[in-house]
Amino acid sequence: MVPPVGSAAIKSGSSDAKAWLLLLPALAFLAVFFLVPLGQVVFFSVMDPGFTLKHYTSFLSDSFYWRVLWGTFQTAGIVTIFALLMSYPLAYMIVRMGGHFATVMLLIIAMSFWTSFLVRTFAWMVILGNNGPLRAILEAFGWSPAPQLLFTRFSSTLAMVHLLIPFMVLALYSVMKKIDMNFVRAARSLGATPFQAFHRVFLPLSAPGIVNGCTLVFIMCLGFYVTPVLLGSPREQMIAGLIGTQIEEFLEFGEASATSVILLLVTLAIFAIYNRFVGLDKLWG
Amino acid sequence: MTALDSRANSAARGMLAGENGTMTKAYLEIRDLVKSYDGWQKAVRGISLDIQKGEFVSFLGPSGSGKTTTLMMVAGFEKPTAGSIRLGGREIAPVPPHQRNIGMVFQNYALFPHMTAAENVGFPLRMRKRPAAEIAKRARDALAMVGLADFAGRQPRELSGGQQQRVALARALVFEPDVLLLDEPLGALDKNLREHMQVEIKRIHRELGITTIYVTHDQTEAMTMSDRIAVFSQGAVEQFAPPLDVYLRPATRFVGGFVGDSNFLDVTRGTDGGLTAAGLGALDLPAPEGDRFHGLIRPEAIGVWRGGEAGEHCIVSFTVEALVNYGDSVLLIGGGHGLSLRARIPFVQATDIHEGNTLQLAWRRRDMHLIPA
Amino acid sequence: MNLVLAFALVVALFVVGPLLIVVPMSFSTATSFEFPPPGYWLGYYRAFFADARWTQPVINSIGIGLATMLLTILLVIPASFAMVRQRFFGRSAVNLMLMMPMIVPHIVMALGYYSYFSHLKIIHSPLGVVLAHTCLSVPVSYLIIAAALKGFDRNLERAAMNLGAGPLRTFWEVTFPVLRPGFLIGGLFAFIHSFDEAVVAIFISGQAASTLPRKMFDSIRIEADPIISVVSTLLFGVVLLAVISPLIWRVVVKRPV
Ligand SMILES: Nc1ncnc2c1ncn2[C@@H]1O[C@H](COP(=O)(O)OP(=O)(O)OP(=O)(O)O)[C@@H](O)[C@H]1O
Ligand SMILES: [Mg+2]
Repeated sequence: MVPPVGSAAIKSGSSDAKAWLLLLPALAFLAVFFLVPLGQVVFFSVMDPGFTLKHYTSFLSDSFYWRVLWGTFQTAGIVTIFALLMSYPLAYMIVRMGGHFATVMLLIIAMSFWTSFLVRTFAWMVILGNNGPLRAILEAFGWSPAPQLLFTRFSSTLAMVHLLIPFMVLALYSVMKKIDMNFVRAARSLGATPFQAFHRVFLPLSAPGIVNGCTLVFIMCLGFYVTPVLLGSPREQMIAGLIGTQIEEFLEFGEASATSVILLLVTLAIFAIYNRFVGLDKLWG
Repeated sequence: MTALDSRANSAARGMLAGENGTMTKAYLEIRDLVKSYDGWQKAVRGISLDIQKGEFVSFLGPSGSGKTTTLMMVAGFEKPTAGSIRLGGREIAPVPPHQRNIGMVFQNYALFPHMTAAENVGFPLRMRKRPAAEIAKRARDALAMVGLADFAGRQPRELSGGQQQRVALARALVFEPDVLLLDEPLGALDKNLREHMQVEIKRIHRELGITTIYVTHDQTEAMTMSDRIAVFSQGAVEQFAPPLDVYLRPATRFVGGFVGDSNFLDVTRGTDGGLTAAGLGALDLPAPEGDRFHGLIRPEAIGVWRGGEAGEHCIVSFTVEALVNYGDSVLLIGGGHGLSLRARIPFVQATDIHEGNTLQLAWRRRDMHLIPA
Repeated sequence: MNLVLAFALVVALFVVGPLLIVVPMSFSTATSFEFPPPGYWLGYYRAFFADARWTQPVINSIGIGLATMLLTILLVIPASFAMVRQRFFGRSAVNLMLMMPMIVPHIVMALGYYSYFSHLKIIHSPLGVVLAHTCLSVPVSYLIIAAALKGFDRNLERAAMNLGAGPLRTFWEVTFPVLRPGFLIGGLFAFIHSFDEAVVAIFISGQAASTLPRKMFDSIRIEADPIISVVSTLLFGVVLLAVISPLIWRVVVKRPV
């Protein structure tokens, strides 16, 4: 007769070991090829060659860097707001109308979503370019000569709104499509006007989507490199672009590292706030 | 069908307990089985059951009472925290699930979505390394047995719920398991299909004579299908007995309340040693051991008293508070003398009864079953 | 309501419009970015396919993407099994670790890889890009594969064992085939992520191992090479095909005869 199997302790011990064994490849890989380079960034930000905080003090005492940081926040905020204002009605109509309209709209969103940032950035390059259609149109309407559009804050902001709308729409849509329309119907039957029903019932229920979409877009914007570098004004860099310049042009690893750590901390802080109020797993649930 | 037939014969050679008067040693012996998932709360708290070869046993009980957990331990998917399970005299705790030779039908059928019906049914034979020709033939036979000969090439998602259910049954039987376990197999089917499948499962059980454990929380299903019912409550078996015993002579108040509709009266032993019930007086019943009892009287055992010699009847006056019409019968809810009662009477006897009426109800004294409190 | 609908349509137009402009550009005869094109020809397509400075990055990107995909799912599949099926101390910390590469801005990692891989002498090599891209692809791949695993009905495994399959056979005969689509999608996302990733590649792939996004970036920034419009059109075409082909499939296959 075999003794009754498995005291709880032994059982959980062996399953722990199994779990760690299965996780070993992924964790070891990430430790060597993710944590180490990340740690290096932090390390170099305080070494030159001995321990020093001068990269941080020079960053924090120079108004240029503050302007970059503030400008980055501003741009990210503007992009987020515009993306939300444009995406919300679209996502709303997709769930309200359904059918072919929804299919076509989601198709358009998916198309844009999957098309490389570089392709889309290039498209804006053409549209806003000196020989591009937008200036031609402006001039046709009598604004002559039309202002320089490319390589301004306007161009990179516009392009980022375009680039990030699909993310916002999908974040909103995934929450909205789960909202039971009977809530809205119930509100209407209880005497609410269409606007009241939307404002008092649908909008609050879609709030998680708004929070998710805005967090996602804001964070992506903060660290955005490609588009601001290609389309934006070289004099008004965003923080990611600044890091790039510090590496490429000046080979200033200490400064680049300190700037990176600051960007990282800001990003982590936003994630932490999100996690505190919503729960991180909801962001990509 | 040959393989299945030979099995049927050997099983049919009668080993049902008590049929020939002798209690054969149990085929499946469950002893003091305990299961705790978290080492703290017990999902199963010391269950002992002796199941005879060829018997059809139902596990009946409310949700969360430990039926599935017990079944999982028999099948080998959960390890018992304590206790033993013996099959044909052999302890099966050390035997891994795939070597237990126990067939199981899962609640959601668990048909492999990437295999056809025939491949699903052939799977256990393939695992047993049977030759391809034999696999094909036996899978075909098993599908024919459940009436799905023409559906062999279908994928599970191309089958209806009832058909999937049959494929699962065929798959669980094709390798001639020693025991068949069914975990609420009909739960997802509509009422008509469920009744049809009940008959079907009983037919197959009769043909094959396979020892079967059938989990359900539908009491009618358990009553109509089983040789014996094990009534589960909170991880323990309250009673293990043939259906009529469970219904007429429930061992505990829980069983009496769970199976069928019921009235419970507080019965106590009077100073003279006889039994009395609150609101009724002396009961004039043979008194078993004990001082306090729950007196169980089924609503359908109560009738309207139209006068005459009381004799063996218990008569109470009763005011109707509510009246529920079921079409064929009428449920009277009300009471009198501090007693509340439910009585179910045939429709034709109730045409002149209305809410607020006071009438006399009666039942035969021996129809009251006493459960020690 | 009509106003909202009209606005939604305008937004949709804003989303597609710019995408469509790359198509006529690719047939343009202009030598710089100019719209509308002064004339049309196929010359830049010919130039693209004949120019190793463009075709090599395409090949590099595909190779790096495939290697990344393979490596990523090899790491992520066992990890997902542990995360979904086991309860152990430190599970939520591990979860955070697996998601971390998605949280850290890519430009930060680009800097990290730049100095780390210089040190390891694998900068400007495909190997370095694959290692970096694998880290960055882990989260998305993990999300997909773990979700597939969560949706997997464990009764299928129980049924297999009950029917006589040992643990190993159960995995190969039931678990793996049923989950294969999920694994493939997880891998596909890793591939796409690698194929599209620009920032890290810009800094560490160099000339020799240049990926397509890096080449496109340079081409836009430095050269203003019109071939970029051909590449853009081809990439857009692939996406278009991938996005609408399920739809076409549905229409063609389900059309009543
Ligand atoms: N894998 C598990 N981990 C932890 N607790 C469990 C697990 N499975 C079941 N339990 C608990 O064990 C108890 C018995 O559950 P079990 O599934 O055996 O009930 P059941 O009688 O089959 O109920 P139902 O009719 O709802 O299927 C319940 O309290 C349940 O919450
Ligand atoms: Mg159950």
